[in-house]
This record gives sequence, C-alpha cells and structure tokens, in this order.
Amino acid sequence: MSNVAGKGVGARLRRKEDARFLHGQGEYVPNIAMVGMQNVAFVRSSVAHGRIKSITKPAGLEDLVFTIDDLIGVKPIVANSALPGFKASSQPVLAQGKVRFVGEMIAMCVATTRAEAEDIAALVEVDIEPLPAVTQMLMARNTEGPRVHEHWSDNVFLETKTEADLTDIKATAAIKVRRRIHTARQCMAPMEGRGVVATFERRLDQLLMYSSAQMPHINRAGLSECLGIDQGRIRVVSPDVGGGFGYKALLLAEEVCLAWLAMRLQKPVRWIEDRYEQLSAGANCREHDYDITGYADTNGRLLAVDCDATVDSGAYSLYPFSACLEAAQVGSILPGPYVMEKFRCVTASACTNKPPILPYRGVARTGVCFAIELLIDAIAREAKREPYEVRLTNLVPPEKMPFWNVTKKYFDSGDYPEAVRRAVTAIDLSKWRARQQQDEPDGRRIGVGFSVYCEQAAHGTSVYYGWGIPMVPGHEQCNARLSPDGVLEVRIGAHSHGQGLETTLAQVANSILGIDTENVRVIHGDTAVTPYSTGTWGSRCMVMSGGAVGVTCKEIEKRVRNIAAKLMEVAAVDLVLADGEVRVAGTDKKMTLKEVAHVWYRQPQLLPPDVDTGGLEATLGYKPLQDTGTFSYACHAVVVAVDTELGAVEILDYVIVEDGGTLINPMVVDGQIFGGTAQGIGTALYEEMPFDLQGQPLASTLADYMLPGATEVPPVRVLHMETPSPLTFFGQKGIGEGGAIAPPAAIANAVNDALAPLGVEMLESPITSRRLLAALAKAGTVAARA
Amino acid sequence: MKTISITVNGKPAQASVEPRTNLADFVREHLHLTGTNIGCEHGVCGACTIEVDGGPARSCIAYAVACDGATVRTIEGFAADATMHALREAFSAEHALQCGYCTPGMLITARDIVLRLPDADDGRVREELAGNLCRCTGYVGIVRAIRRVLEQNKL
Ligand code: FES
Ligand code: FES
Repeated sequence: MSNVAGKGVGARLRRKEDARFLHGQGEYVPNIAMVGMQNVAFVRSSVAHGRIKSITKPAGLEDLVFTIDDLIGVKPIVANSALPGFKASSQPVLAQGKVRFVGEMIAMCVATTRAEAEDIAALVEVDIEPLPAVTQMLMARNTEGPRVHEHWSDNVFLETKTEADLTDIKATAAIKVRRRIHTARQCMAPMEGRGVVATFERRLDQLLMYSSAQMPHINRAGLSECLGIDQGRIRVVSPDVGGGFGYKALLLAEEVCLAWLAMRLQKPVRWIEDRYEQLSAGANCREHDYDITGYADTNGRLLAVDCDATVDSGAYSLYPFSACLEAAQVGSILPGPYVMEKFRCVTASACTNKPPILPYRGVARTGVCFAIELLIDAIAREAKREPYEVRLTNLVPPEKMPFWNVTKKYFDSGDYPEAVRRAVTAIDLSKWRARQQQDEPDGRRIGVGFSVYCEQAAHGTSVYYGWGIPMVPGHEQCNARLSPDGVLEVRIGAHSHGQGLETTLAQVANSILGIDTENVRVIHGDTAVTPYSTGTWGSRCMVMSGGAVGVTCKEIEKRVRNIAAKLMEVAAVDLVLADGEVRVAGTDKKMTLKEVAHVWYRQPQLLPPDVDTGGLEATLGYKPLQDTGTFSYACHAVVVAVDTELGAVEILDYVIVEDGGTLINPMVVDGQIFGGTAQGIGTALYEEMPFDLQGQPLASTLADYMLPGATEVPPVRVLHMETPSPLTFFGQKGIGEGGAIAPPAAIANAVNDALAPLGVEMLESPITSRRLLAALAKAGTVAARA
Repeated sequence: MKTISITVNGKPAQASVEPRTNLADFVREHLHLTGTNIGCEHGVCGACTIEVDGGPARSCIAYAVACDGATVRTIEGFAADATMHALREAFSAEHALQCGYCTPGMLITARDIVLRLPDADDGRVREELAGNLCRCTGYVGIVRAIRRVLEQNKL
C-alpha cells in the first residue's frame, strides 16, 4: 500500500493534470474533430454604430450564409437585473436592424474549412448607414444626442446611490483630497480564445456542444432560453480550457448561432475565435472613471469618502452577469478594509458603442483598489506621513474582527495592519528611503509603493439574490462514488482551467478518506455527468467545491465505516481511515477501501442490515456557515525605477504579503498569485485597448495590445499569513483573483513616490511611456524627448 | 494545391496543400497533431512554436509549402528526448504550467535554451523567453524549471 500521508490539505502536491499538457495531449475545443465537421466564420460589423440597410448574400452561395432573418424563433440574449431602474438590453445573436459595436456579428458563413468560410464571408455585402457613435462614458447621462438603444431616455444601464450626509465633515475636515482617476479598457486575452463545436445527436434527441467555457451549466440554461429547447435536451461539455479569467464566463451569441446551425444542417459545426476577433470584438473589461474625494483629519485618519464612479459597460447586458454588476459593486466595495465614518457614492453603468463588459479577474476590485489606494497616498502626502503609516491608521485592526464595514460588508477574519507591517519589512523600506536621498548613477528616480486590498470570494445566495440577475448561486454540490476497484470518482459542476482542481480536490478527499490522490478522479466540465453549478467565477471553487467535496466525502466515510465495522465486527468509532485502508485502532486488523467497496458491489449478502441504501455514492450540497463570502487580503509592496527621459518604469523588487486562510496546496496558491500579479502588472503598465471617437478599436494584434512577457514580469516574492476563515470547511479562503487586484495601485503609488519631487502624479492606468512623458512635459520639470 | 515532402516526428510524409495553409494548420488539421496550439496566428505569442530543421520556429507564420523538404518536430515528437524529459519533470515540479495552452511551445523554446545556452542565468532565460507568452503563471515557475534543468546539466 502506498504511503498517502502528506498528500492531503496543506501539501505542495504536484498536479495530476500536468502530464497530459506536458505531452501535448490537452483536449481543447480546437482539437475536437468530428466526421463531416463544417467550419464557421462570421461577418462582423466594421462600424461601431449604424443602421443596416441591406445584407446581400453572394450569388450561388446563399445556402451557406445565414442572417438573423434565417434564425427564425431564436430569441435574443437578455440579462436583466432586478435592481431598480435597470434598463434592459436585447442582444440579437446576429445583428438585427442596427449594429452597436465594431465586431458585432452580422452573418454566419459555413464551409468545409475556416479559410473557405472566410472567403465566403468576404463576399457578403453589408450596407450600413453609420450613426454617430457613443464612446464617451462620462456623457452617458446626456439625454440629447445619439442613443445606443433608441427607446432609452439616455445611455445609462443603471445608476446607484449610496447616500450619506457629509455636510459636517466637509466643513471641518483638515485634509480634503480630490482626484480624477481612470483605468483603461482591456482585453482579458487568455492564450486560448473562445471556441465552439456543436452537433445534434439524433439518438438522444440532444444538442451536444463543446465550448471553452467557465460555467457550462449556465451556458446550457442560456442556450435553452434562446433556443426554446428544454435544458434536458442540451449537453454542454467544457473540455480543457486554455485560460478563462472571466473571458469565458458568459453565454456567447456564437454558441446560440452554432447550436442553431448544427440543428439546421444536421452536421457538426465548429467556430474557433481568432486573436483578431478577440481583440477587436472582445476588449471588454476594466474601463472605470472615478471622481473621488477623501476627507481626513490632520493625521490622515479617514473621515469620509465621496465618489462619483462610472463604468463603461459597452453595448449590451451580457448573460448572466449583466451590465450593472461591475459599477454597482463599486458602490459597495470601495471602502474595503478601511474604517471611515461616512461613505457616499454614486455609480453609473454607461452604455456605449463598445464591446459589452465581462467581469475580469478581480472584477471591480482592481479599479476600486486603484482609486482608493491612490487616494490614500495623496492623503499621506498632505498629512506628510509615510503612506504605509496612514494605512496602519485606517485599516481595520484585528481586535475588531469580525468586522462590518461602512457598506455593511462582513469581514470574517484577518490582521490587515500586520500584512502591511510585514510588507514594509520585507521590501526593506528604510533602505530604499536612504537610497532615494542620493542621485542614481543612471539618472533614474526610485519610488516605493504599497497597496492593500481585500477579495470577497465565494459570495453566495445572500449577496446575489438581490442583484436579480439570471444566476444566483445556492448550495454547491458534489457527487462522489467509491467505485468497485476502490477509486473515488468526484464530480463537480464548477470547471478547472488552470486552477488545479483535479489535484486540490483530490487532496480534500485524501484528508477525509485517507485515499491516495492517485486513486481520486475529479470529473468536471460536462453538464451530463456533473451536478448543477454556477461554475467558476468569483474565486469560489476552493471554498464552494472544496466544501462540497468535503461534506460528500464525510458522508462516504460514514458509510464505509458502517460496512467495515460489520465486516470486522468492531464499532464504527474504532475505525481509522488512512493510506487507503480502514484500520481498527490499536490492532493490526484492517481492510482496504477496495475490499469494502467490493462487498457493496459484489457481496451484498455480507452488508449490515442497516446499510445506507445509497451505497458508496452520495450527492451532497454545501454552503459556508455564512455565505456573504470569505475575505482574503494582501499588501503588495513594490520598488520601481522611473526613467524620466524614456518614460520607462522598471520593477526592482516586488513583495506580496497575503492571507488566504488555510492553503489547500501552497504551490497552487502561489501559482495563482504569481499569474494574477503578472496580469496586474499588465494592467498597470502595458495593456490598453484604445477606441477612437468613432468607436474603432485601435489595437488588433498582440503587437499593439501588449501582454507582459517574461522580461516585463519580475520575480515576485510571496509571504503567507494563514488566518483560517471561521466560515469554511478547512478555513480556506478564495484567492484566485487577488493577484490581479493590487498591482496597478502599488505600481502607480511607487511611480508617484518617485515623481512627487517633480510635481507629477499619475492617475490613469496603464502608465505607458507615452502617458508618463506627457505628464512630465505638462509638469514642465523635465524636457521630454520627442 | 501543391505537393510537398516533409518529415514530421521522424516520419516522412507527402501531402498536397493549399499555398495559403500555414504549418500550424498543416500539422493540426492534416496530420491531427493537435499538441501544437495556436494563440495568435501572427507570430507574437509563441504558442505554436515547433522545431523546424533543428531550431524553434513559429509554425503559424511559416507556410507549409515553404517547408517542402524540411524536418519538423512537434511536441508529440520528443518522447525519447532526454532534455525534454528533464524539462517535463521540472515544469511539473516548479508548477510552470496552469491551463497548459502555452506549454508545448514553451517546452520547445525551453529545450532550445537549455541546449544552446548552458550557462544562462535568470535574466538570460527571461530574455530568451520573451517570444513566448503565458497568461497564467507569471513566468515564475517556467524560469525556475529551466534553471533547474540547466543546473542539473552542470552536475
Ligand atoms: S500562434 Fe504562432 S506565434 Fe502566436
Ligand atoms: S499555462 Fe496557461 S498560458 Fe501558460
């Protein structure tokens, strides 16, 4: 019997999923082939806003081209919110009457190969009368001028207000700091794009769809709504997925189109997104604007924050997250772990002629962290204190835990000030402060920056039902089965696409059943064989699926004990499960799990009379003790060198002090933090999808849309604090998004620390050299090179 | 259509291809070697990196017809390669992959680094990796894995 100790919760276990990827055997959607499979290319809009006057199919090829007029009975995609005042949009799966963003699909072309389908697409003539495009989110409230959806009164999906009376504080606060802060629109850019293969299975009278998707059960629900087919007749399989990050957390119009086409043609059909489609039509996150004011006493102690925030939500409300989740979240999460008396916030979800937004890793938190952390530094400069000291003054102290903050968020645990103190030590702040007193030999300027965030993860029913969007997470389920040969099959409805769940959930099973992780098969990504789940989003899997696997394995354990107790004629409480065996404590009597399973399946005459009729298979649901979410958090500290002639920013050191509660697999956790941080560095310094005033996207290749490479991302040091969450199964907290939240704020604060003597303050991400040189030139302190 | 002769993973093959077919599509769609992933089709991301005549090349911007007579190795063709074996071990030990999509291209570039630059330090490894994007790992594990194999080779 193999020694399976040391493979449970807390082990740095190598990943079970690695082998297939290392050998080029990942099963991604583009690798799926079917006999007779046809390929699809879409005709997409080249204008951001316009009225379609005509669509002419090429002569002789009419049967291979489909427009919305062909898709009879297919309903548009609608993602409403129950929040009062929300304006609904209706997204036809192929444009109908109007186009509302560059890249919106107008016609679907099918041929044997993608190249031939593209040839046909090039022959489709589309006559569009351009309309003035709505591209400025800050003008969304205007009731004059063009409207994205004509029947609306303005271009706002939703406005929210968090009211507070600030009159007294405004009159008396010693420090008042107001800033205009902006984050650029981005494309999440997983290395694999989206992709769909659809076919209709006559035998089962069922649509089978392979899609590169984070939440296959939600895709199934959405397909059912649009196509008018029962969910029971739709099977969605999300196989290996080459990165998600939020980009694959939606119902795609392409999925609806391909589903219809597979049924129409009675042939398998495939569409694989190319990078051009992704960048031009899928730049769909992070565009925030903040007009934010902080009020503090002379010491920098926060009294109130007043904020007017706008998020550019693009043209449509996407299914299931809706167009308002991100902006409305700003109103509830901006104060985060900071203690303040009053908070006032108005938010707007602006509707523009740009691609509709999706929640990208961190969702609104990356923008919110950028806004509040830049504000804290500005307050520190006014108070003439070290920015980290002002953070210590304002962060919730550990003795206040659990803590309800000003927006009534429930913080379950943690010591935020300690994370800051450890980061100050780890980055060696005093060393850099001393170095800043001298001129650098290369003329660059050194700066140190900090940022703190909290990440509400695995938030459930009590948070989501109020949004009233098409998806509300409830109990997360697991189905587990101890098979006849002693292998544990674990089925979950969430999806793993890099997060390592095939390994970490096996570790959970090991901790409870003592089974070797090699003998645990984690099965996910197939609506036909897994329990319903809202899928993978919101850093929820380790808390929710981890908890579900935990409670289900507990149930299996109980049943194994009952059977083994009868067979070995001992009391169930005297049994210990370890190393794949059921042992009688204090004796050398034992059975293997396989032997116990064998009795259930092959020798039922030996079972105890009170045996659970469910056998060695169970499906149980799980929710944390309170489902408002776990709060993981971190302090990021970074040192930069800024070249004021070239506008270049180099990261000299980067430290993260992070508290993710109990770590199920520290190696996987570190991987999530490293990867998230690299994305955050992209947000901070490189990644930006500019649109011109006509709504044209100005980056269409990875040579214009800059993703950070190995030379841009520094070695990052991660230090852990582990305050177990009192709410979850093992004390774990969700950590999947955190790395991507804090870097833009920390890096901007470091750049601003470096440039403060020159009177320059960067308030917009990404801090590209163009932006930096323009700010320096405006400050007039350094002649920027042309 | 043009007929080409090409050796892929040790097996000589004849194929008739359209002039516009790139090498990545050729190995994936014609030979069903789907281990080579496509990330951008414009030569930036490195996901499609394979070995052509002994060196790493981007198969998305090479035309199959231009590879007439070439010897090609894809990720499926390194089963007996000791360096690749060591890299696979190291990638797993250092958590150098998450979603796995960049991994085949990354491994082929990594193998080239290990064989060509036995003394490469972290900085040099990072420079050499500049043409292979990974959206998941932040490169930490990848750099460590390559350095681990370089160090093993010095023993
Ligand atoms: S797919 Fe070839 S370099 Fe990106
Ligand atoms: S592991 Fe996902 S892109 Fe590298």
